[in-house]
Amino acid sequence: MSHLGPGKAVSSKEQTGLRYPSNGKTIYHRPLNRTKTAELSQSSFAYLFSEMVTYAQRRVTGIQELEKRLNLQGHPIGLKLLDLLLTREPPRSQTRPLTIIALLHFIKINLWTHLFGRQADRLEKSSNPDTPDEYMIIDNEPLVNAYISVPREMSQLNCAAFVAGMIEGVCDGAMFPARVTAHSVGGKEEGEMWPGKTVFLVKFQPEVLEREALIGKG
Amino acid sequence: MVRPDRQLQPHSSLQSNIIGNVNHATVISTVFALIIINKAGGLIYNRTFHEGGLNKISTNDYLVLAGTFHGVHAITARLNPLKPITNPNRTSTTSTFPSSTPNPNTGTPNPSATPNSSVPSVPSTSGGSYLTRPDPPAGLEVLETENFRMQCFTTLTGTKFLLFTDTTQANVDLTMRRVYDMYADYVMKNPFYQLEMPVRCDMFERKLGSYIREINNR
Amino acid sequence: MVVYSFYIFDRHTECIYSKTWLPTTATAHDPQATGASHQLRASTADDAKLIFGTVFSLRNMVRKLGGDDDAFVSYRTAHYKLHFYETASSLRLVMLTDTATLSMRNVLHQIYINLWVEYVVKNPLSPVEHKAGAGVKNELFELGLDQFVRGLM
Repeated sequence: MSHLGPGKAVSSKEQTGLRYPSNGKTIYHRPLNRTKTAELSQSSFAYLFSEMVTYAQRRVTGIQELEKRLNLQGHPIGLKLLDLLLTREPPRSQTRPLTIIALLHFIKINLWTHLFGRQADRLEKSSNPDTPDEYMIIDNEPLVNAYISVPREMSQLNCAAFVAGMIEGVCDGAMFPARVTAHSVGGKEEGEMWPGKTVFLVKFQPEVLEREALIGKG
Repeated sequence: MVRPDRQLQPHSSLQSNIIGNVNHATVISTVFALIIINKAGGLIYNRTFHEGGLNKISTNDYLVLAGTFHGVHAITARLNPLKPITNPNRTSTTSTFPSSTPNPNTGTPNPSATPNSSVPSVPSTSGGSYLTRPDPPAGLEVLETENFRMQCFTTLTGTKFLLFTDTTQANVDLTMRRVYDMYADYVMKNPFYQLEMPVRCDMFERKLGSYIREINNR
Repeated sequence: MVVYSFYIFDRHTECIYSKTWLPTTATAHDPQATGASHQLRASTADDAKLIFGTVFSLRNMVRKLGGDDDAFVSYRTAHYKLHFYETASSLRLVMLTDTATLSMRNVLHQIYINLWVEYVVKNPLSPVEHKAGAGVKNELFELGLDQFVRGLM
């Protein structure tokens, strides 16, 4: 973001164009698609994602490896989105999240709205005292899984591992190293209503919690 | 952001027709069963929605039935009395047949006839170079018996949907269109579905089941 | 309403009568008329076989699905509609019409009662088995059928 600082804004007065337009807004501030509802076709995405899953499936031996690959596909997107979304924030709040809660809220609201046009459904902290490093982002019907039926023999698989990769990218980029995995919980308890309900389990590295504790004391 | 949309419809011209008719269709028929046959004549999907509508027959019998119907369907397309000879030399005489009789397509609207709207509806037997594309599906569309009614919809790629309903002349076209939509969504966009293979997709089962139940309970 | 053609099949699955009302006479002025009409006749014979195969398969399929008391009535494609009527003596009447035509069940039934029974069955000169259409192609039946069908159109 440094190259978009006030120093450049001065030079933009002499030289206008796509990169330094007269109103100070660069191409990074708004989506390239400027129609009123800057949207893409869900079908196009579904076909593309379907091919991504097929591609990832081609050279893997197990479900874990497949999820790992999907995760890796999403990771760089998360890293880039962190920068992009922060750039688009109003200048005053243009800082990266500094606490776990702020980060998770950023993911639940900003990231989700940008990607799926709505917020994530719920945010939870693990109630188990043994795992204070685990947080959960809950989506009742992930858009990426909208048309996917996982075959019975692969019931452990959740293709939203791709989204988990994006979340992991955002966390890593914000210096909150974490492991993020996607789990299907539809069909259990209240799952009848949301058969595709997915929990993104965010497990932060120990040093993150250590730092968090220090900040809390300060 | 990704927006939910319907897939691109090749038959949009008739859609208005179908929608126009919905208001008048007060009698809603009972849907007995659905069969999907792939382009090679193999049975890829078979589900009964209403007990007692049709005789119970074994899966093997269904397989035979699918194969038989596939053959019969091809013959019914050939039996068209309006173009008895497909001889490229006799362009002038064959092309006079359709013009001397009223165009049968203008009669009743149905979804299976719609592919014609993009292609000249006059039987294309002549040897003109632009007519080398395959003829639009021209086989059996509706079969009526004393106990049931069967509607067959052939997609442009040769997949056949057979919908068995009771004999009331209700608007099956709309039902067929929704079934096709669901197939396009939950089967074709599923990365785990292999083309031309039996359809085993939970999501398709669920959506189809609730849609047909809604019709049958009305 | 337009009637394209009419076929009768006996219980030995043989086509014993066929007639078309297609405007095929136009081909007579064609320079290749002889070849064409020859082809046309060949295709009519082929068509009869194909039609029988089709209605027979569909009839069996319908009985399997709808029960033994079920009967195949008609089917429609984008270009034509085929009507089927089977008598208790396994005589099968088939008629091809345009797609807008409604059920022709009673029309076929009338043809059976008023023309077939009257002019073929009750004809003392007509044989019991109609090998190659023997006995069906009598003047009264053909004239009656033509008049009846033209009256419908």
